[in-house]
Amino acid sequence: MSAIHSISRRGFVAVLSGFVSAIVLSVGAYAADPVKIGLVAALSGQSAKSGEAITRGLTVAIEEINSKGGVLGGRKIELIRRDDESNPAKGQIAARELIFKEKVAVFFGGLDSPVSLAIVPVANKAKVPFIGVWAAATPITRNGANPNYVFRVSAVDAIVDRALMQYAKKTYSTKKAGLILINNPWGESNEKGLKAASKIENVEIVGIEKFESKDVDVVPQLLRLKKAGADTLFLVANAAPGAQMMKSLGRMGWDVPVVSHWGISGGRFPELAGNMAEKVHFVQTYSFFGEQNEVGKKLLKRLIDKYDDIKGPEDVIPPVGVANAYDAMHLVAMAIDKAGSTDGDAIRKALTEIGPYNGLIKNYDKPFTDDNHDALSHNDYVMVRYYGNQIKAVK
Amino acid sequence: MTPLKLALSLLPAVAAIGYASVANSYELYILATVGFYTMVGVGLNILLGLTGQVSLGHVGFYAIGAYAVAILTTDVGLGFWPSLIFAIALTGVVGILLSIPALRVSGPYLAMITIAFAFIIEHGAVEWRELTGGANGMMNIPPVSLFGFEFSELATIYLVIVMTALTLFLYWRFADGTWGLAMRAVRDSEVAGQSLGLNPVMIRAAAFGLSAMAAGLAGGLFSPIIAFVSPSSFSFFQSILFLLVVIIGGSGTVFGPLVGALIVGLLPEFLSDFAEYRLLFFGGLLLVVMWLAPAGIVGALTSWLGRGDTRIPDRDRENDVDVDAFLSREARADQLNVADLAISFGGVRAVESLDFTAKAGKITSIIGPNGAGKTTVLNVIGGFYKPDRGTVRMGDVDLAGKPSHVVSRAGVSRTYQTTELFGDLTVLENLLVALGQGRLGGFKSALTHMQSDAQACSQCEALLDFVGFKGDPGVLAKHLAHVDKRLVEIARALATRPDMLLLDEPAAGLSAQDTELLIPLLRKIAAAGVIVILVEHDMGLVMEVSDHIIVLDAGAPIAAGRPAAIRKNKKVREAYLGTGEVIDRARQTAIPEADRPVLDISQLVAGYGAAPVLQDIDLKVGEGEFVTVLGANGAGKSTLMRALSGLHRPVEGRILFIGDDITSWNAYRVARRGLVLVPEGRQVFPELGVDDNIRLGAYARDDFDDAAELEEMLDRFPALRQRRTSRAGLLSGGEQQMLAIARGLVARPDVIMLDEPSLGLAPALIEDLFSVLAELRDEERTILLVDQMAALALSVADRGYVLESGRVVHQGSAKDLKKDKSVEQAYLGGGR
Amino acid sequence: MLIVSSIITGLGLGSMYGLLALGFYITYSVSQTVNFAQGSSMMLGAVICYSVGVTHGWPMPLAMAVALLVCAGWGWIVERFVVRPFASRGSNSWLMATVAAGIVLENVVLFTFGKEPRSLPSPLAQEPILIGDLGIYPLQFLIPVVGLAIAFGLHIVSKRTKLGKAQLAVVQNPDAARLLGIDVKRAIVGAFMVSTVFAGVAGILIAPLFNVASDMGTLFGIKAFAVAIIGGIMSPWGVMIAGLAYGVVEALVTATLGSVYTQIMTFALVIVVLAAMPNGIFGKAEVKKV
Repeated sequence: MSAIHSISRRGFVAVLSGFVSAIVLSVGAYAADPVKIGLVAALSGQSAKSGEAITRGLTVAIEEINSKGGVLGGRKIELIRRDDESNPAKGQIAARELIFKEKVAVFFGGLDSPVSLAIVPVANKAKVPFIGVWAAATPITRNGANPNYVFRVSAVDAIVDRALMQYAKKTYSTKKAGLILINNPWGESNEKGLKAASKIENVEIVGIEKFESKDVDVVPQLLRLKKAGADTLFLVANAAPGAQMMKSLGRMGWDVPVVSHWGISGGRFPELAGNMAEKVHFVQTYSFFGEQNEVGKKLLKRLIDKYDDIKGPEDVIPPVGVANAYDAMHLVAMAIDKAGSTDGDAIRKALTEIGPYNGLIKNYDKPFTDDNHDALSHNDYVMVRYYGNQIKAVK
Repeated sequence: MTPLKLALSLLPAVAAIGYASVANSYELYILATVGFYTMVGVGLNILLGLTGQVSLGHVGFYAIGAYAVAILTTDVGLGFWPSLIFAIALTGVVGILLSIPALRVSGPYLAMITIAFAFIIEHGAVEWRELTGGANGMMNIPPVSLFGFEFSELATIYLVIVMTALTLFLYWRFADGTWGLAMRAVRDSEVAGQSLGLNPVMIRAAAFGLSAMAAGLAGGLFSPIIAFVSPSSFSFFQSILFLLVVIIGGSGTVFGPLVGALIVGLLPEFLSDFAEYRLLFFGGLLLVVMWLAPAGIVGALTSWLGRGDTRIPDRDRENDVDVDAFLSREARADQLNVADLAISFGGVRAVESLDFTAKAGKITSIIGPNGAGKTTVLNVIGGFYKPDRGTVRMGDVDLAGKPSHVVSRAGVSRTYQTTELFGDLTVLENLLVALGQGRLGGFKSALTHMQSDAQACSQCEALLDFVGFKGDPGVLAKHLAHVDKRLVEIARALATRPDMLLLDEPAAGLSAQDTELLIPLLRKIAAAGVIVILVEHDMGLVMEVSDHIIVLDAGAPIAAGRPAAIRKNKKVREAYLGTGEVIDRARQTAIPEADRPVLDISQLVAGYGAAPVLQDIDLKVGEGEFVTVLGANGAGKSTLMRALSGLHRPVEGRILFIGDDITSWNAYRVARRGLVLVPEGRQVFPELGVDDNIRLGAYARDDFDDAAELEEMLDRFPALRQRRTSRAGLLSGGEQQMLAIARGLVARPDVIMLDEPSLGLAPALIEDLFSVLAELRDEERTILLVDQMAALALSVADRGYVLESGRVVHQGSAKDLKKDKSVEQAYLGGGR
Repeated sequence: MLIVSSIITGLGLGSMYGLLALGFYITYSVSQTVNFAQGSSMMLGAVICYSVGVTHGWPMPLAMAVALLVCAGWGWIVERFVVRPFASRGSNSWLMATVAAGIVLENVVLFTFGKEPRSLPSPLAQEPILIGDLGIYPLQFLIPVVGLAIAFGLHIVSKRTKLGKAQLAVVQNPDAARLLGIDVKRAIVGAFMVSTVFAGVAGILIAPLFNVASDMGTLFGIKAFAVAIIGGIMSPWGVMIAGLAYGVVEALVTATLGSVYTQIMTFALVIVVLAAMPNGIFGKAEVKKV
């Protein structure tokens, strides 16, 4: 509001102000006002499902928190979402809008690593905590800033890749790895991670092939890997392209073990990949199938009650988005209460002091420390596969 | 530019700076985004607005600019400013390189090349990982600094605002400078541009380069401000947004990109609460905006506000420019020598062994019936066609086969049959662009408004006075009346100070009074020492002004000499009027009564734009009657046919056809009702066979008996039977004409109209054709014929009308008209 | 094996490109305009087919018919409300307008159909036929067959039927066509409807090999446009052959040089082809007249 006053005071009542004044029409926070929490994620386009999953995880968590009286002694939490269209520049502007216009206390990030990477310096400069619940690129949290306002409740590619490599070596005695990666930032990030892991684990990478998310047929790439003598395939892709790759593999009749990052669980992989779905062993932070802990039972029930299209655990897709966002929101609420204010620096400090918390994915002891802003570690990954429509741990 | 207008123009920049000084960080970045969009938009505007070319690949240039600055300031450690300059230069070079494949293509082909470019850049950025950081991009790009001082966020945004304003300012200067004007000229008519010495290849390449540089500048500023570049910031979708900026704002306007950028940049922010529904609303709103303002918002606003103070009302001011002195240059070529000139198209000889000489200070006319090859001769001299052999020597230079912009620079200037003015340029600008004889100059002239060059303007105005143009030089050329277009085109041709002026039918479509104006003008031009070559159908004009006449028929010269001799020449008379001894095909049976007309035309007025081509035409055709419409070229005969058939709409007056008022009907309805035109130039469907062409004639009929009626037509036109298997495009002219008539006949029309069926046919074929027409007449079909072969037409017709300058000047029975001298006058002149 | 497999793969994909590109050819030839969002028409076919056939459980042939009908309707809407208002004024904003219409359609589908890709089952894409150690679904054989059959059918319709010939007449000389009583406006609307129906056919055919999602057609649409252009947009056979060639080149580049180069190489090839042949491989130069 100060902006509007000063505009008219200075007499710059020009064409532009008409356009822009509407943007500025936000009102500062009063004590009884809700605490605003932001989300910058892909809500439209091909990654729209990820944004929806994060939204659902956050929404259920916020409803739980608000029904118990909110935070800071009675202030409700309000979620404000912005679409980044998977474009880093858009995401950065959306982050600035949430910080400077909406004055959010904390905000969450989405699936796309480049968007999060573009937001990191903004969050650090504005001193507003930014919580990643999906994007797994390593430098998001390890960004060199001090103090560092970026936290994450999600996997870290470098660690996942190492775990995948170890699993393959242990299970399949892998010697020659073939990488089949989606051609996007996430695929590239894992290319680095898998290369690094292969050196440590002493596995030779005999071929690296990429495919586009809209490729219909991946046979040419797979034939190259086969020719190169790969004995295990490492798949990094989301559900739909991952299924395309598996269907191509099935048609070739090439019986080779496939170890995958968690992306394939982000859609109806069993439906899309058909009988090839069960062949893939992949990593997961949480599964809504099988025996659930208390939090899991509660959350699943709420999701089914709240969303028409969720009838059972197989409809909670992608599970990681819902699960990570749900836990992250509860951790943030604890931190706000501990900080006693919506001040960014106070919340940042509080985040490193909270715990223990019995969450969905695990029981967090001290999720964050000054040195470690990643709440999940390699101990929290489980290797799973599809049994029919259900994701269960590999026996 | 008035102080008020200057102040208004600066208002957006001042407002932006004022707003920035109080804005929060989010709003600052929105401003920056609008700035980026505006800069790229200005770049696209150079391409789209000035040269009329669409690019869907500008995100590629934007990306190159952004990556260049990012790489140079981080990996190389260069300062921001040298990096920015390098980035702009690099994009300019890439732009010019891209223009090489892009120059040869246009429309969707060009769009595809630019799309491919954008994808290559995007994927290149992903794959060239060592340089670009791959898909995950480059972080920590240092902020803008100057002499070691780091710009604050606010100062950086000020910089963006200033750069945006500067880009807009440069565009404003550039669009009306020599280069900008030349780009707009080549956009409106590449042919005419070339004949003024403009080199379209160089001009388009420059447009591409400059356009790319503006996008490179925006990209170069993007990097340090967002501090992060990755390929996903430069997706193809961005390219579409960039193009939207220009189209929504209004291409070709100075502020269009700014307004477009405000909408494309701000609208999503207003819609941000819609979250996932944002793109849906965005797409929908864009459609609405385009529906409401198809010429863009600024375009719509300016046409709504009128053209304001762009008029130059001060036409009566003192003008001491001596046009004669301007036109008479020293050391100029004193004659044109054409020797043994020949050219053929696809095996057909268009011009054969032509020799002639045209002297400076004299008017040399080339005449001949339609299709004789007159315009082809002009096109060869003007450098538009390359002759098969022969020389075209002007002074000491052989111009044969040289490209037209080179020919023009050598001192040849021309006008066109269908005027080729630069329609979206003002009259004054049309002349200004010609003044430089194709030399565009450097930065200074590129950034100086040509209208502010007082001397150049008064020269142009003097030329306009010289040709007798009395209108407003500030009006757009496309809005001129026909006669004014002719005059301005001549003035434009003169503005290059030519040694030789080629005039292609300057009197076509002019009224008799307007044609009168040309006579003294042409003489004045010749008197200034110019070689004047005139191709013209208006014999009155030709006979009056020519010093020497060359008559062509079917590409070969048949006579040459002074006007009086030509008029008496027997060969010439035959070529024009047809042989004197026409076979008498007059009707043997009684002529049907004309009192119950099937076609009843009253007070018909039709035209293109300002001046009506047809005025107050009253014409009747009775059932079973054969009526012919005669008249010289440009008298309005074809327009009459187009108006009757429904191809030309709207028309005023009334056309009654068997009781229906068809004045407002579309062509297909008219045809279905039974009024069928066999159009000029035959217009068969070239890729379809003979049978199919005939069958299509019966398209609107349900009772078509395929086999029987095809047989009937093939019996009637035996020549077609022999060619039955070939595509219509391969048929000879005569065969095509028969086919076109057959196609018209199977429609079972109540009235069949034929437009110039004898055009371009050999004499023997013409005889066959008219025998067919006589047969049709004797079958009691109702026929309306337009033909330049007056004697022949009258030999078969019952009645005739003579058109001159869009009016019916004579009518009567064929017998009477045959004896009437006025018909000959209408064709060969001499009435004056 | 690599080569053989790439060629078979490429032919399958290429005929999809060709089929979509034929849609560009049909509208461009009669009206010099195209539905730039042809990819979203393809998506519409697949999405409607899925919704009717799988979600609502109607018999598949019926679902396909409904899908193609909807596509035809969409083609009508595009011509009537998105292209004609601009084209009739001589403005080339129809290009942007069709893009905007595509954005609207994709987003409407995103919110009605859902955000996650679904799989359209087909008995022809269950059991691969083994050739050597390479499995190929019957559908993969079917697609080029259908693609060529449609191109052939188009050829037959235009050569043998009155309606087809009328359409050809409009292409070759709209004014002369009018003079024969052919309603050119209707011919253009018809062309747009046929164009979107072709896109719908492509969508339905490819869906079982691919998946059904709101953005499934975007990249396809762009590649198909490239195909139409390099084929010389005025020649139906040229377009179809260019489609097949594009698919094969794409697959061969991937197989021999590696996927890193696929997109860069194919798009660079597009530029090279157009630089060498400005009217496309099978296109004819338009003669300019003064």
